[in-house]
Amino acid sequence: MNQMDEGLDALWARYRDSCPDPEPTAQFMPGLWQRIDARRTASASIFRRLSQICVMTTVALILLMAVVLIPRIQNVLVYSATYVDVLLAENGNDDTDLLAMGDI
Amino acid sequence: MRSVAERVVAMLVDFELIERARNGDDDAFNQIVQSYRKRILGTIARLIGRPEDVEDVGQEVFLRLFFSLDQLRTAEVFEPWLYRLTVNAAYDYLRRQRRRQESRMSDLSEQQVILADATEGGKRRDEQQHRTRIQEMVQSLLEKVSEEDRILLTLKEVEGLSLKELEKIYHVSENALKVRLFRARQRVLKAFEAETSKSAGRV
Repeated sequence: MNQMDEGLDALWARYRDSCPDPEPTAQFMPGLWQRIDARRTASASIFRRLSQICVMTTVALILLMAVVLIPRIQNVLVYSATYVDVLLAENGNDDTDLLAMGDI
Repeated sequence: MRSVAERVVAMLVDFELIERARNGDDDAFNQIVQSYRKRILGTIARLIGRPEDVEDVGQEVFLRLFFSLDQLRTAEVFEPWLYRLTVNAAYDYLRRQRRRQESRMSDLSEQQVILADATEGGKRRDEQQHRTRIQEMVQSLLEKVSEEDRILLTLKEVEGLSLKELEKIYHVSENALKVRLFRARQRVLKAFEAETSKSAGRV
């Protein structure tokens, strides 16, 4: 180790001694808890806002389904016809044949 | 003069307290802060070299600790974790400072006087003034390297952390740390030599 290295090491040591661990002020702990609470509140409000957005989106989707999709489904023939109507529509010709045979 | 080798490295709190804090016990967290704040503030003071901002950075460290305790794998790695947070907060601070382009050191001639004191053990009547000058001298030398290297060098040379401890903090191999430290030290040494020759030239 040369003289410069020794000089630098001496300087580090002097620096260490010239900067002793400082005593925290009386404001340190209250200030820290203030910052923690502020962060907690901010996180909570972000979470609240996110949940509000989720709820609003869900409600909007439900309304959209109610307004747009449900009337469309109701307009389809299969859902508006009664069971008897469907039976009549499918077996109308068979009944005619039976009646005709009875007449004979 | 307290040598670097005498640095107290013992854990200041027990694992149970850390576990309690991890589980959301505010009182336990409070006790941890009270146990570590002086040590952490000292490290920050030596890392950033600005006494007026030490408490602010210190609060930032413990704030980050509070919100990251649940990520701590085990209580055994608490201290490297806390040092890691300290290093990151100091690094963020130094980066902000560099962006603001604030210079701590302007009077070069004064540095040269300090250098003579630092290397030859000069006698000063005003101890506080002498301390301030030493601090300014070291800060000006550390400005010759990047913020990352400045922090690494300070942790090793001033705080006296071992390579094993640095390995735990930085999560890099000992060899990589040695290379980085060597290069950083060489840069600072070069600046130190330049200052010494200037100082000698003035005498």
